[in-house]
Amino acid sequence: MQSEDLIHRLADDLRPVRPASSPAIATALWLGLACAVIIAATLFWGLRHDLAERLASGFEMPQLVAALATSVLAAFAAFQLALPDRSRLWACLPLPAAFGWLATMGWGCVQDFLKLGPEALHIGVSLPCFGFILGLGLPLTMVMLWLSRHGAWFSPGPVAALGGLSAAAMASIGLSLIHHLDAAMMVLVWHGISVLVVTAMAGKLGPRVMRIARSGE
Amino acid sequence: MPSASLSALDLVPALMAAPGDVTAERDARDLRWSRLMAAAQAGDRRAYEELLRECLPLLRQICRARLRDATEAEDAVQDTLLTIHRARASYDASRPFRPWLVAITERRALDRIRARGRRSGREAALDIAAELPAPDVSADTSLDAMRAAARLRDAVQELPESQRTALGLTKLQDLSLQEASERSGMSIGALKVATHRAMQSLRRRLGGGE
Repeated sequence: MQSEDLIHRLADDLRPVRPASSPAIATALWLGLACAVIIAATLFWGLRHDLAERLASGFEMPQLVAALATSVLAAFAAFQLALPDRSRLWACLPLPAAFGWLATMGWGCVQDFLKLGPEALHIGVSLPCFGFILGLGLPLTMVMLWLSRHGAWFSPGPVAALGGLSAAAMASIGLSLIHHLDAAMMVLVWHGISVLVVTAMAGKLGPRVMRIARSGE
Repeated sequence: MPSASLSALDLVPALMAAPGDVTAERDARDLRWSRLMAAAQAGDRRAYEELLRECLPLLRQICRARLRDATEAEDAVQDTLLTIHRARASYDASRPFRPWLVAITERRALDRIRARGRRSGREAALDIAAELPAPDVSADTSLDAMRAAARLRDAVQELPESQRTALGLTKLQDLSLQEASERSGMSIGALKVATHRAMQSLRRRLGGGE
């Protein structure tokens, strides 16, 4: 087929579309939706009883701030990368916040070690943490993939992985508000593993989901 | 001599003005393309066709600069046109159109270069295989062919019904999109998408890459 014929066919096939939201608006929309889900989860399960005390004295406050920054920046970067004319360097945007997040948890481990000794580094099994972040993170990832579905034709893998990271960071914030887990090492390991799993699953399966979302239009 | 000097001097302002004129012309064209694309997003078919036709020389220029083979460059142009069509919602009318267009074209040309690299890798492997002594197993060969046909049949059977229908009408019966659309009741766009997906699924399933 000649390109000129293809143009004629594409024009014949044209239907109106709503232009994609700008990355800033899409990020704001995403944050609104994600916060609503987190609030609903805290209303359902209730805030942890010692939250105020922990926020005042523990490592939770910097950890929550870093997780929120990771989530916001990852979402903004995903929406940027979903557009063809944006630099791929946007993918690096959430990295400082993500490293900061890891650092706050690592610092918590050091503080626990200084207070409690080697016992503080004991790693137990916390499947509820894993289940919560997956259970909340994966549906939130689907929302993110739907919002960034126009990126299906450009950088679907990085867009989906960043979306997964943003969703998982939000789920981790929700978990920190609800679940009673004091040991920084446990938080580091279980939150870390869960966030990695959600991000990897999003990066692997997300492009397919985005294509399905696009085809439904 | 004086007249020659004069004409040379006359050229100076023209040469000096040329870059500015070119920039102004390009700005005006970009603005016009942005407006045409905004109209296309709203469903204006005439504006869309006009825009794509006007952009076509630029797409060809980029693809031909990246891909030496003319046929392959034209395939990349068509990939670009399809991507523009599918991703037209991703254009933000408040931004210049040209960078959006060029970025898509560069990506599709790059995809073609990568695909060519993978293909040439496979062809090199086949060349090596061809130099090996051919085994005297004609029965095995026909058995292999039968197995391959069975795998293809199975793979086609496992496609979703819409993809199977689209593949059958457009590739096996070789109908035009219009005829296939009339026969299946699917829109032309849906047929293109379903056929494309079917081909991708088969390539993945049968190890054809891309």
